[in-house]
Amino acid sequence: MTDANSANPTLATRNLRMAHDHHTVIEDLSLTLSPGRVTAIVGPNGCGKSTLLHGLARVHHPAGGSVLLDGGDIHRQPSREVARRLALLPQDKDAPQGLTVRDLVGFGRHPHQDWFRPPSPEDRAAVDSALGAARLEELAERPLDTLSGGQRQRAWIAMSMAQHTPLLLLDEPTTALDLGHQIEVFELIRQLAATGRTIAMVIHDLPSACRYADHLIAMKEGAIISAGTPGEVVTRALVRDLYGVECDLLEDPATGSPLLINMRRSTDP
Amino acid sequence: MQRRTVLVNTALALGVAVAALAALSLGTIPLHPVGVLRAFTTGEASQQMALILFELRLPRVMAGALTGAAFALAGCLMQTLARNRLATPGIIGIDNAATAFAVASITGVGIGLAPPAMALVGAATAAALAFALAGRTGTRGYPFIMAGVGIGAIAGAITQLMLTRVAIDAANAAYPWTVGSLNSREAMATHLLAGGLALCWLAALGIGRHLNVLRLSETVATGLGTHPGRLRLAGLGIAILLTGLAVAVAGPVGFVALLGPEMARSVSHPARVPLTASALAGAILMLLADLAGRMILAPLEVPVGIVTAIAGSPWLLWILLRQTPGRAL
Repeated sequence: MTDANSANPTLATRNLRMAHDHHTVIEDLSLTLSPGRVTAIVGPNGCGKSTLLHGLARVHHPAGGSVLLDGGDIHRQPSREVARRLALLPQDKDAPQGLTVRDLVGFGRHPHQDWFRPPSPEDRAAVDSALGAARLEELAERPLDTLSGGQRQRAWIAMSMAQHTPLLLLDEPTTALDLGHQIEVFELIRQLAATGRTIAMVIHDLPSACRYADHLIAMKEGAIISAGTPGEVVTRALVRDLYGVECDLLEDPATGSPLLINMRRSTDP
Repeated sequence: MQRRTVLVNTALALGVAVAALAALSLGTIPLHPVGVLRAFTTGEASQQMALILFELRLPRVMAGALTGAAFALAGCLMQTLARNRLATPGIIGIDNAATAFAVASITGVGIGLAPPAMALVGAATAAALAFALAGRTGTRGYPFIMAGVGIGAIAGAITQLMLTRVAIDAANAAYPWTVGSLNSREAMATHLLAGGLALCWLAALGIGRHLNVLRLSETVATGLGTHPGRLRLAGLGIAILLTGLAVAVAGPVGFVALLGPEMARSVSHPARVPLTASALAGAILMLLADLAGRMILAPLEVPVGIVTAIAGSPWLLWILLRQTPGRAL
């Protein structure tokens, strides 16, 4: 096992099998997240991408194989220790009525705190810097239920930032947000990546994944069918295979990432 | 945040003291509150007053405050674990099962255990059954709540059946167990409750920090390094013990477990699960309800369980109608 405090913790799976109620969702999946990069996991509904993320975040136990954090089985490490290196932003989340943005972000310090110890200056600094990075200083004392969807999602991301982990997993961080709020959230994620964090996110929208991820993992029926840079992964054949969609591809003149145009349903199944 | 918790708890503790003083002073023979306070501080009291105060009213006030605190703390724990404000021990059948077991021991159906002990056994049995039937508590506890409601209904029916089958004096003896009353408590059960409540309160405070993040969702709580499964087991264990001990003293007094935490939440900081505040609010509710029960139709006494049901139902309806469905606690 490598040093737990190494600058670049690694998260990997080895022959991972995940199942829901004896129904196998993911079979024999091995991957290693590229350190310091943003990885987007894409694929059609039901391909197992959220299950994979939950497996990586030790929310569900694997039915076989293992998830390795810094080379050691993640389920054999104390959950609190894991939470100091790996943060998760799930879709399933809710906040008590009246909870302010600052309260929420403060919960990110949970794995760094102890019973009855008042928040340390370090905790406060981490919360302030997370609020600043997510541009939420002005809203810090506002209850979450009074914010827009995009602001709220930024507050949740700020909570994960306050957790101060080198690894961050995000489950569909932009679902149900309008275009402006989506871009707001994606830009915050890019900003986080620029600080050297390793980020993996499940994304529904392939064009956004191309635009904002360094690395794509394309999944179908519980297996990885392609992985690499967006330019390497996204081909007409792959889009047809994943989604049953025909398209043409261009190169985005601004970023060099693939652009999907002229999308239409495939005629032959 | 810390300051608000201290402030709220101090205010509620004062409320408990005032309610207790009122309960000690008021009654068929009214005592002057100043005289009552003096009797407590200096021990100075007439023989008659000492009898009323220390022999009759004080044990009842202690029992009321302790059962109220225990019911409400149990309610707060279960609501938080199930992330559902309706998931109180009373509604998911733990009270009913405890009652059924206690009644069984009085009517001679049960084993030779005293009713309070049987109440504890009943509470544990109901919870275990609900667990077994639900298989798991589920993310929001729905399977567990549904199983509990069913078990509660069956336990209620069994209680009624037992009462219709026995001689009238046995049914009379069992009656307080079915409505909830502070009139027929046993000193031993109150002492057990006092000790149990102290331990359970400390244990609840011990997991309080983790309960705070569990409210965000189980997945979020896992991501923050807690173990929702272990937390649920510990919290449920504490809640079941509290409910069993309280039912053993007062029978199934409804609504305190629901309304105590509700009251505590409305004044507490939203980032904290109000454990201590719930217990204190529950004690206030119970003391006032029992006092009302003694006063309304004096010299007749209305059992405290009937008072909480009459006063609590409209309050519950108001909460249900006022709140957006599906909101987090």
